[in-house]
Amino acid sequence: MFFKKYKIIIFISVVFITILIVISYNVKYSKDNSFLRKIVLETASPVQEILSGSIKSVKDAWLRYVLLVGIEEENKKLTNKINELKAVLVSYQESYQEAQRLKKLLSISDNYKYRFITARVIGREQAALSRTVLINKGSSDGLRNGMPVIAYPGLIGRLVDVSWNISRVLLLIDENSNIDAIVQRNRTQGIISGSGSRGMILKYISKTQDVQKGDVIVSSGMGGVFPKGWLIGQVIHVDRQDAGLFLKINVAPFVDLSKLEELLILSSDETTF
Amino acid sequence: MLYYLSLPILSILLIVLQSIITDIVFSNRLVFEVSLLVVIYAGFRLDLIKGTALALILGFIFDCVSGSVLGVFALIYIIVFWGSFYISDWLDTEKTHVIVFFSFLCSFLKEIILNFFYYLAFDINVLINVYFIILIQSLIIGLLAPLFFYWMDRTGILLYEERV
Repeated sequence: MFFKKYKIIIFISVVFITILIVISYNVKYSKDNSFLRKIVLETASPVQEILSGSIKSVKDAWLRYVLLVGIEEENKKLTNKINELKAVLVSYQESYQEAQRLKKLLSISDNYKYRFITARVIGREQAALSRTVLINKGSSDGLRNGMPVIAYPGLIGRLVDVSWNISRVLLLIDENSNIDAIVQRNRTQGIISGSGSRGMILKYISKTQDVQKGDVIVSSGMGGVFPKGWLIGQVIHVDRQDAGLFLKINVAPFVDLSKLEELLILSSDETTF
Repeated sequence: MLYYLSLPILSILLIVLQSIITDIVFSNRLVFEVSLLVVIYAGFRLDLIKGTALALILGFIFDCVSGSVLGVFALIYIIVFWGSFYISDWLDTEKTHVIVFFSFLCSFLKEIILNFFYYLAFDINVLINVYFIILIQSLIIGLLAPLFFYWMDRTGILLYEERV
């Protein structure tokens, strides 16, 4: 009698409590790599690949047509740019040779054994709070959680959710992303934190430090996840007016994260760099 | 039975399609959450058990594909469904302005709950950065809701006629 009278309330309560238990468990113990999540991702992966592949080919065909307009003008500009860059390249090659000679002299050697695994982006995160992409490689290709991910010309994030044949990349602009970084020009060290659509923020740089707009930010190699010296972004705004102890520095990523298509996963025999 | 068996597959298809539309049309700046409209529509038209199952499965698959904490979207969708279900007894859910306003409200509240959850669980507060996006997103959902409802009603009628 009691159950009949209150069956709707009992049903709602049971569903509600069950979900709350699931959420509590996942917040406390494991956010990633649950078996159910893997199963859903593996099922969604081929559908996503087929749909995004076919839509991409239509989009590419259209863009190719649109791009033909004004191609001659652009071609002239690019030829001039190539000539300028050739001159710059020669000076860089000189500096590189010099650096190699000095490196030998100082007996510094690279201990890194990089191996790149290429992957294709098959999906993008759609929740407003997080910034991740799905790629078509997983643990069966040798990927592991935490591996750095690169897209020319710099770092874009790390693997956070590796299934058998599909993985999730946490982008540098995600609010949960924090990596140790240095300002290339003066080696000032700070933490690069994701700031969603606003790019990234370089934190914990004292107001006495000289950081300017245009400064290049690279990874510091601290923390053992990201190798040292990889490009992260460029300072776009430095706020010295803020009341706190530290500078408020906005950093834009080098890579256009909205147009990612192919990525490289930096795999290494060692677990740390 | 066929309804419950087809739910997971159709939900995966919907979530994947939704993510591709979001990627292509809005370049991931906004999220066009058709799944939320499906849940609201279910609240207006389906019975409690069928609708709860739909909200639960859709939310769970959204959690898995989007990488959020497992159960969060399931909980939010369930709340939205139950809200729509009980509101449908009080309001005339055929009227366009009711659909627009209610869908806008659900979308907006959904994002507020999500932000509140992330604030409680991980001490992340991004509401100040994304409130404008959330507002636009909710407006788009609200404005497109009548179209979606009309299309769903038409599909329902066609299927029914075919069966008869």
